[in-house]
Amino acid sequence: MSTESTIHDSIDTAATTVGSLWPIHSFVTANPLAGFEDQEFSEAVAQAADLLGGRGYPSAETFRAALQRGQIDLEILDAELSEAGYENDPETLLDRMAEVTDATDSDPDTSTDRVDQVLTKWLSAFLDEGSAHWSMPNRKAGFYTAFRGVAEHDSEVPSEGIITDLPETPTETIETVLASYSESQWVPIFEQQLAALPGWTGLIKQRADDDGAWQSAYPISLEGYLAARLALLDAVGADIDPSNDSIDPDPAAELAGAFLRAWEETYRGDLVEAVATESQSLNDGDSLGRPDAQLVFCIDTRSEVIRRHIEAAGDYETHGYAGFFGVPMEYQGYDTDVSVAACPPILDPQHHVTDVPTDDETQESHDRLTGIRETADEIIETLEANAATAYGFVETAGSGYGLALAARTLVPGRVHDLFDAAENSVPDDHEFCDPLVHHQHTYTGDLPVGLTTEEKVEYAATAFDLMGWEAFSRLVVFTGHASETANNPYDSSLDCGACAGNPGGPNARVLAAICNDDEVRAALREQGFAIPEDTVFLAGEHNTTTAEVELYDSDVPESHAADLEQLRADLATARENAAAECAESMGADASSGVSETERRAADWAETRPEWGLAGNAGFVIGPRELTSDVDLDGRAFLHSYDWSTDPDGEALEAILTGPMVVTQWINTQYYFSTVDNAVYGSGSKVTHNPVGNIGVYQGNGGDLMTGLPLQSLMAADDDSYHQPLRLSTVIHAPVDRVTDVLADHAELADLLDNNWLSLTVVDPRQDHSAFEYERDLEWSPVFELADAELAESTAPAAADD
Amino acid sequence: MFYNILFQERIGSIEEFNNQYVRTMGEDNQNRSITVRDYRDRLRTTMSGHNSPKMVGSLPDTAADSPLVPVALTWLVWSMFAASIAVLAVRVRTGFAWEIPGVVAIDGLTVLMWVVVTFFSGIVHSYSRRYLAGSRLKTPFFATVFGFTVVVMGLVAADHLALFGTLWLAMGLLMAKLIGIVSGWDQAQAAATVARKYFIASSGLLAVALTALWWVTGATSVSGITAAADSFGGPAWLVAAGALVLAAMIQSALIPFQGWLLSSMTAPTPASALMHAGFVNAGGILLTRFAPVITVDPALMLAIVGVGGASAIGGKLLKSVQTDIKGKLGCSTIGQMGFMIMQAGLGFFGAAITHLILHGFYKAYQFLSAGGQVEHASPSEGTPHTIGTTASIAGIVVTLLTGIAGGAVFALLTGKGMKFDSGLLLTFFVVFTTLHAARNAVQQTTLPRVARYGAVPVVFFPAIVVYAAVYTSVSGLMPVSPATTELTLLHGIIAAVFVGIYTAIETGIHERSQRLYVVLLNAGQPAADTVLTTTEDYNEY
Repeated sequence: MSTESTIHDSIDTAATTVGSLWPIHSFVTANPLAGFEDQEFSEAVAQAADLLGGRGYPSAETFRAALQRGQIDLEILDAELSEAGYENDPETLLDRMAEVTDATDSDPDTSTDRVDQVLTKWLSAFLDEGSAHWSMPNRKAGFYTAFRGVAEHDSEVPSEGIITDLPETPTETIETVLASYSESQWVPIFEQQLAALPGWTGLIKQRADDDGAWQSAYPISLEGYLAARLALLDAVGADIDPSNDSIDPDPAAELAGAFLRAWEETYRGDLVEAVATESQSLNDGDSLGRPDAQLVFCIDTRSEVIRRHIEAAGDYETHGYAGFFGVPMEYQGYDTDVSVAACPPILDPQHHVTDVPTDDETQESHDRLTGIRETADEIIETLEANAATAYGFVETAGSGYGLALAARTLVPGRVHDLFDAAENSVPDDHEFCDPLVHHQHTYTGDLPVGLTTEEKVEYAATAFDLMGWEAFSRLVVFTGHASETANNPYDSSLDCGACAGNPGGPNARVLAAICNDDEVRAALREQGFAIPEDTVFLAGEHNTTTAEVELYDSDVPESHAADLEQLRADLATARENAAAECAESMGADASSGVSETERRAADWAETRPEWGLAGNAGFVIGPRELTSDVDLDGRAFLHSYDWSTDPDGEALEAILTGPMVVTQWINTQYYFSTVDNAVYGSGSKVTHNPVGNIGVYQGNGGDLMTGLPLQSLMAADDDSYHQPLRLSTVIHAPVDRVTDVLADHAELADLLDNNWLSLTVVDPRQDHSAFEYERDLEWSPVFELADAELAESTAPAAADD
Repeated sequence: MFYNILFQERIGSIEEFNNQYVRTMGEDNQNRSITVRDYRDRLRTTMSGHNSPKMVGSLPDTAADSPLVPVALTWLVWSMFAASIAVLAVRVRTGFAWEIPGVVAIDGLTVLMWVVVTFFSGIVHSYSRRYLAGSRLKTPFFATVFGFTVVVMGLVAADHLALFGTLWLAMGLLMAKLIGIVSGWDQAQAAATVARKYFIASSGLLAVALTALWWVTGATSVSGITAAADSFGGPAWLVAAGALVLAAMIQSALIPFQGWLLSSMTAPTPASALMHAGFVNAGGILLTRFAPVITVDPALMLAIVGVGGASAIGGKLLKSVQTDIKGKLGCSTIGQMGFMIMQAGLGFFGAAITHLILHGFYKAYQFLSAGGQVEHASPSEGTPHTIGTTASIAGIVVTLLTGIAGGAVFALLTGKGMKFDSGLLLTFFVVFTTLHAARNAVQQTTLPRVARYGAVPVVFFPAIVVYAAVYTSVSGLMPVSPATTELTLLHGIIAAVFVGIYTAIETGIHERSQRLYVVLLNAGQPAADTVLTTTEDYNEY
């Protein structure tokens, strides 16, 4: 093997330890420790702690607070502690845990600090996405070459070693610097160097993998970055010998693990009990008539809240489905230059869908108004940018800024009304545009524009299959979701995770358009979906910040006007109640829920506009009836599924390999951002400094922050709102079918075996008893007080040791 | 027999139940009962709520308590704003002035700055009440911001030299405290240290200047010194004037003293807003207060124009290569302060004060909305270089007419540029800005003709009128009248340099130099030890 390919392979191997970081405008929730998922959880966090310096478990204070609030059942805790070999009472153990964690600290290394500073300067210049007016010279040639060009002018780069005369290719540089090390040391050296600025390297990794527009225009590779880094390290004479000293184990890890398991079991116990109880009383006969409307929501935890309130407001049925509605598309809105991948990051887009105008008159009025606004923005930008005009501009416009300053700070609620009014004066895109769903026999990039009829039928059929759908109402609403916040660089972290941090409305519109297509409906009927003639599909978008559900109703026929009116009235009622619940969860007065949530949506001084997915801990896969009578407090993802309509387990397989993996990513991101907000999260918003349209610094600069900000997780600096628990998945299906799926998908079984999440099955064919996944496809029965006897007598063969 | 078995089974389960019950009760005795009872209570209360569904795994209530100090101080600072407005009204009506001779003198500038400072401080207070919710920094932050406000109010009223110097130092130390208010964060502490060094240096320079002035005039008050303007001259005066200008330059972060400002982003966002809208302005206030000291010598005034102009140009160039939002805003402030100091150097102290107020509105707004400035751009969208794009004859005519008309409105209303003196330079900037805006608007071919040609006059002329109104009111309150100087070659050079810079930025011609890029990027970097390269260090939470 050539040296060059050895270097390539070693970098690839080393890069698995780096968690990908997506640009901030399309925040994607991913496990920061994704590269360690092939190891046992405790092992993985220990290794990550060694490499990245992050904590792996909640602190003693977090456990203490949970204990005091009754979030950890004492019996379960006792059992877990004694199983792990601890005899003392929990308080003493927590004191001990707090003591050992306080003692650690890292020693600063000034020579590598200097290298880090030079690199972060050039990385921010190179990776900038349209923020600087004058970007780094020669970016088109790629990072290494561009860096090579500027390094000679940079007085901060020491003129010693290889940097004074950099070879033409990065491989040569790496080879030269590593000449004195054996090849076996390369991977650990790369690992250590890539872990030095995990934010930037994660972004480079993601950018190179994704190969989007910026990457094709200005290419960068981990190899080029490492070459520049090694050359700088060589110049300052830093020691790059990989530290061979074994990982010193966190003495508190084992103890913390026991507390964490007890906390998780407490939550899981309640959830499983609720599901098992409902399973017993599940009405397996025909449902009680045809509901007034059916609404499909994203599996997102926030949907649980609004669904509960909609069901209470009238005769409505709600379903949970992945928020990209199964359409893996790249979407380009009307009059925008950028298209976004509107599907989960585990999928690649398959179609390009554009919004095309259908109503000339409205389009014209839209264009005129937005044209004026864009022109004004552009003029202001050029005036601000030029030294000869910026000062005159500030003097002429200053008074206006003064008024805006006062209004936005002192009457933020009014500002929301003002924004609303301004928005209403300009027609929304969806009022005059339709997504171009039909196949166009053309390509945008590599992607076909639109969908063929077969594809349409497939996406629609898959949706109804996965949700176990049988009867259709007069109105069926696909509801995507989006957030509405002001002054928030993390706004996309509150948008739809299944749409890669984008609003879910466009996907909902595409699926609704598909289902209204006569050809598709005919094909679906042939496949056995009895869609009545009077069923109309429409799309909507759930504003998760204000709990408002907007319906895109322009295509609804007159015949359904009354149904629509009724639905809209009930949605308003549901919104009031849901907003009250949201307001209460944020410590505000519930009686003014709507105005409070609207204020938060528009208030530039609000760091907690909504709670997002904070609190997430469970994932229920099964019919809504299992959870419709309980209040899950916005903590559970809900995917509709009916085992009885899925005899071959295909739908179940799709849910476990898709949504379950995505929810586990989201869950681990919230977990790690909470347990170590500096290393895996992004710290306090109060000192955030967005950079280059791609990420966020803390303060003056340095490494990019990753993960979620403190205010998205904590009610106060010392009071966690999010409960850092690993995901508890509960499936309503026969155990053997779940086993079959896991047997076919080693990656899922590995994830479970390595304790990155837990899986419990409530088996409707075994008297609704629950079984918990142990490891190696083995299950153990869960004893509930209510049906302990039943479970004992009917434990399945799989659980027999 | 059969019944018996069933019964025994029953018993078994009851026994099991009892055992569990006893275990639970046993725990009661081990002092861990509170949590269990709490938990049960919670369950019971949630269950008993009528119609509400059963709660499963509900989250704890985490209402953050709001401390009292911020509420009280916010209320207080707005009251001070109201009081300042009232005093201003009285001042305008009656022209009253009040003083404790030799210690405190309240003139028009004092009252004006009281209104301005309490306004910015009030905005920062109100904003931070929500922005810092749940933060353990909240109370110390409010206390420091309020203390800063009081100190600045005292500074603009101070007449005694010792009082003035002490408050100047206190103002700097409080600002450094805000930069490092996150106590456990090493980089924030390093940034505070950097700032503190600069501020102590500026206070030291001020002390030298005040001592020298006292030496020259024998006066111990600001008013005493400015009244003795005739006696200025000689080396002691030169030392004093030079030190004053340097102190002002450090305070306003003029090049080459921009280091502290560009390393100050560890301050909470509202503190940055206060810094850029208030603190940096003190350089302009200082020069205005001691105007008679510096206007004595046209050469010194020219030097001030020079350093101001250099920062005005340099700040914009530094900004052009910055990628982080707060860094860009910082560089913008350097430029704006340069322009403001340049206005002072041209003798238009009223214009300088007007500029620092209006810039304060602008910059505070930009900081407080810094989080909303992330865009999803595409690579093709780079900055358009506009010169060279063709325009019609009609377009050119309209553009020129608009620019000239803008300048005329400005000159007529403000009186600047009506005579052949340094004021002409200021009118020049207004013409330039209007021209540029008009040219941009005219080039928007997608817009209807009326909008293209009409937009700039319709929007700009009223804006110029508003500016003129503010300028006239501010000038009316000023203790010093404009001390315009004759136009010299340097004024011409500055105008020419600005035209050159304008053309360069529009054509992008300077972007051919890699060396210039690197120099600018390095000059805009924060101090090395204030940069967070290892996020693990950010551990204050």
